Amino acid sequence: MVDLSVRVGSVDFANPVILASGACGFGRELSEYVDMSTIGGICSKGLTLLPREGNPGCRVAETASGMLNSVGLQNPGLEAFLQNELPFMTGLGTRIIVNVAGHSTNDYQKMVERLGAPGTPVDVLELNLSCPNVTEGCMTIGATADGVYNLVNAVRSLTDKPLWVKLTPNVTSISETAHAAQDAGGDAVVLINTLLGLAIDVKTRRPVLQNNTGGLSGPAIKPVALRMVQECYRLISIPIIGVGGIMNAADVIEFMLAGASAVEIGTASLLHPAACAKIIKDLTAYAEDNCLEALSSLTGELKLW
Amino acid sequence: MLKEYEAALVEKKLLGIGNVLLTFACEDIAKMAEPGQFVNVSCSLFLKRPFGICTVDPIGNTFSIGVKEVGAGTKDILTASVGDVFSILGPLGHGFSFDGVKKIIAVGGGTGIYPLYFALDKAKRKGIPAICVNGFRSWQDAFFLSECEELSEKTIFASDAGDLGVKGTVMDALKLLQPEDLTDATVFVVGPEIMMKKVSAWAHVHQLSCQVSLEKRMACGFGICLVCVCKIKSDADNMPFHHVRCCKEGPVFQASEVIW
Repeated sequence: MVDLSVRVGSVDFANPVILASGACGFGRELSEYVDMSTIGGICSKGLTLLPREGNPGCRVAETASGMLNSVGLQNPGLEAFLQNELPFMTGLGTRIIVNVAGHSTNDYQKMVERLGAPGTPVDVLELNLSCPNVTEGCMTIGATADGVYNLVNAVRSLTDKPLWVKLTPNVTSISETAHAAQDAGGDAVVLINTLLGLAIDVKTRRPVLQNNTGGLSGPAIKPVALRMVQECYRLISIPIIGVGGIMNAADVIEFMLAGASAVEIGTASLLHPAACAKIIKDLTAYAEDNCLEALSSLTGELKLW
Repeated sequence: MLKEYEAALVEKKLLGIGNVLLTFACEDIAKMAEPGQFVNVSCSLFLKRPFGICTVDPIGNTFSIGVKEVGAGTKDILTASVGDVFSILGPLGHGFSFDGVKKIIAVGGGTGIYPLYFALDKAKRKGIPAICVNGFRSWQDAFFLSECEELSEKTIFASDAGDLGVKGTVMDALKLLQPEDLTDATVFVVGPEIMMKKVSAWAHVHQLSCQVSLEKRMACGFGICLVCVCKIKSDADNMPFHHVRCCKEGPVFQASEVIW
């Protein structure tokens, strides 16, 4: 039997396949299609302190090999999450990662304190410094190395739980922001969130999205994500979780070779609800075909020219 | 467990100008679907495309959707040949509620007639009388005329061109209803948003319960991506509305809850 398990810092995962924030809700809908206990982990929809209704109007535009979304962090807020959603997630029998978003440093601190308190059934907190669809917090903080450092530093001492920092690709140097996350005490970086994009309706001569811009996801962004994972793998020492356009097991292998310890599956679940289960099955077959004892041995094995 | 189906196209039937009825083989969808629910159908573009279910044959294990070309996705789906296999999710969403419904006034515009046809068919089987009011651009665009007549006690057509039924829209056709037609009626509406808004207002004036099937751009179709939300009235003090998923809580909503 092939060992698919991976370790990210202090946390073990049964396999490297984690459901990405914003593409699995809190697991309710996907649990109707997939035995969630077979998945490596699940990362919640981005949460804010107070409930958010998200952006108005059209929130999706199809693109070549991908899509733009401008949901804008619609979520029930921290209290409703703790009351209604976290107990459900706990019952799924998989690792639980909670994606934490905020308008201000103070918001992040309050949420990390609450969600990251000893004894909460949360395995990892993922700091969302990268959502491109809100006007405060998130990507506005994660756009600079100083912003990342200050935010991670401001919450680091508030919890003993692992802090993953989800970074935006909309920066000049991803390794600088990744380094900042590491220097401030982040336990891992999650690379990458969506790329900021625009779609135009030529009939109306207006943006398709009422938010004007949105975040690009899907296979269209995979090469960008892979390059960023590779670059950071060479320059930082904390683990990397790769995300961006993963549709199949071969994509997962690519991310692991580039340096990812685990991966997150986002847009693929929107197209095929059981994509994660198929990927895990195919990873087993890949490992067997290639006589791998442990899938985790692939991490960073890419040999550059 | 729910599944994503690989379903073969078994029949392609041209109905009117640009309108095609596509029938797929899928036992589960044929047996589970309720009127107002939809399926999300793959095409050669990135995302699936949602279509209201039009007919089911739970014995022959097929279901059908009506497709009109509105963009690259529908164009691609319409190029398919019998035997081609599609990846399909469904049945999805919440359809029409028949709870306490004593009589139906089904108001359809354009492709909205497809899901209403399924609702009329169920009403007939349940012994619920129905009145059908359908609007088209012109006689050439019209389809399902005799089918709707068969399933309804009374049928009124309207056309913008005036060459079929009443000249004008479904609003003009609704004026022809008699007071007794409205007694105990529930209104089901599917069509362009502006039409549904007007029919909802008409139903409100006549104190009739009204259900509308909203249409939004979708991605997943089963509730995880939150891109297809509708504005629904909220009871919360500090919140005038909620964004509710068209694909999951809808697509059919009580018209009284909708903020247009």
